[in-house]
Amino acid sequence: MKDKTQRSILLACFLAIPTILLFVFVLYPGFKLALISFTDWDGINPNYNYVGLKNYTQVFQRKDIWQSLKNNNLYFMLHLLFIPIEMYLAMLLDRYIKKSEFFKTIVFMPYIINGVAIAYMFSFLYSSEDGVLNGLLALGHIGKIRWLSDPKIVNYSLVVVSLWRFTGVHIILFLAGLQSINKDMLEAALIDGASVFQQFIKIIIPNMKSILSIVLFLNVRGALMVFDIPFVMTSGGPGTSSTTFALHTVKTAFEFSNFGLACAMAIVLIIAIIVISVVQGLVLEPEKFKGKLDKIKGLVKKEKLKVEEVIEKEGERLEEEKSKRVTV
Amino acid sequence: MKKKKASELLFNALNHTVFVGITLIVLVPLLLVVLSSFKTPEQIAQGYHLSLPAPFSLDNYKEVFKNGNVLTGFKNSMLLVLGTITINVILSSMVAYSLSRFEFKLKKVYFFLFSFSMLIPSFIAEITRFGIIGRLGIYDTLLAPMVIYISTDILQIYVYKQFIDQIPYSLDESARIDGCSYFKIYWKVIFPLILPATATLIILKSVDVLNDMFTPYLYMPSAANATLTTMLMNYVGRSGSWAKLSAAIVIVMLPTVIMYLIFKKKILSGIVAGAVKE
Repeated sequence: MKDKTQRSILLACFLAIPTILLFVFVLYPGFKLALISFTDWDGINPNYNYVGLKNYTQVFQRKDIWQSLKNNNLYFMLHLLFIPIEMYLAMLLDRYIKKSEFFKTIVFMPYIINGVAIAYMFSFLYSSEDGVLNGLLALGHIGKIRWLSDPKIVNYSLVVVSLWRFTGVHIILFLAGLQSINKDMLEAALIDGASVFQQFIKIIIPNMKSILSIVLFLNVRGALMVFDIPFVMTSGGPGTSSTTFALHTVKTAFEFSNFGLACAMAIVLIIAIIVISVVQGLVLEPEKFKGKLDKIKGLVKKEKLKVEEVIEKEGERLEEEKSKRVTV
Repeated sequence: MKKKKASELLFNALNHTVFVGITLIVLVPLLLVVLSSFKTPEQIAQGYHLSLPAPFSLDNYKEVFKNGNVLTGFKNSMLLVLGTITINVILSSMVAYSLSRFEFKLKKVYFFLFSFSMLIPSFIAEITRFGIIGRLGIYDTLLAPMVIYISTDILQIYVYKQFIDQIPYSLDESARIDGCSYFKIYWKVIFPLILPATATLIILKSVDVLNDMFTPYLYMPSAANATLTTMLMNYVGRSGSWAKLSAAIVIVMLPTVIMYLIFKKKILSGIVAGAVKE
């Protein structure tokens, strides 16, 4: 008994503060997002009205929001195109490169450097006055390109920054995956005279499925949540030409004081992330999912059996009554 | 036979060229900023960005230190890092210990809430968190980002829990027989054993806090509360030249780059493990 009280006291002490923090700073704000998404709150006025699903229909109808999603899509597509390259580079790094430790250090470095500093560094490269890239173009007598102010180009310029920052992480992840592959298999393939390309297609890709799907999902989630690069470099402009969905959400709240719509956008984003995570779970651990599904199927079957039993009994009873009636 | 060797050599040379190319792509932009930070604005205007600074001057750095609020930023960043990692290590190891060693009602609910809250993107939650921070009266203080960093770091609890799960329960039992209280088991048995994990988590969290932009930007707007990162954001408008801005950029980059070069192994393995776990 004494043991039990001690245990309860310890649990209460250890869990109290983290639980309070979790509720106050994570769950309550999450709940509030959902609540406000059904109102027309402007962020200042204490009064607001419930407007039903209006904000949600707006999320899907407004052109600027679709435009921002299109911008997100560019991040996704270009990072996707880079995945085979990243895998190939990881394979080279794993097997054919001397001093791979050095290259590993370099490749990963952009991820660790302060994102804001990187953003301004690229602003310097892209700048139309004294900028490095335009300086290079001038050497070739090519006119200036407005890297960050031409609405047609700006988003590409920003995606390049994202590629510079995150390609290295993907390479390192693929490398970790490669290092977990059984080396004997590759040795055997090598002895059989398989080319590098064949090894890549026949051994490496099938054995890297889980890392591959992790990187893919990181890519989807990352692309959906791009925020700081456009926020710092262009604040989404010119116009909305480099606004991403997350940036648009934050701006809708803090700049345009449309908290209702912003919260609806936030909820849509959270739901998208949940759906993506669930799908990832299904892809990565189908056994676990199958187990759950079987359990559910089992339950359904039990229920069905019960119902059938009832029907059968009922049927029998009726038959009996019938036969009784006949005899009477 | 000889021919094969030649093709192998070519293959090798090609691969190394690719990686030298990648190294240049990573390093040249950084090098440009470092070089520019020692140049005068006039020299930058001439172009030739990869030329060595001549005359070599430290004026940009002097200017940034004088007008850029660097020391305040550094102090605030350090306080934020120290406060966050200390409280975070204590709280999350306690939660992980409780979840790993005890069965209690609502444990499953607890797990669900934690996993669920991992799915809410931080900057999105600020829309409603903003009002709460205001009502608690900690707006524009170091406490605001600190409580957010601590309460949203659920990954750390997961990592700790996995570590504690691996510690054999017989250790707890023998300590219990020797008359240790549960708290003493946590403090004298478990906590020392998870120190390696703690080291990795501290390093990763410090990098996160040092590099974070939006939380301090949103919650600590006054100049006296600037972190290194927001100091840079404030300075951009006032810098007046790429030369000075480059110096500020280099100053902000340095802390995490130095940390990376010292703790490379831990950072690499930690981030890979984190990505795979998520």
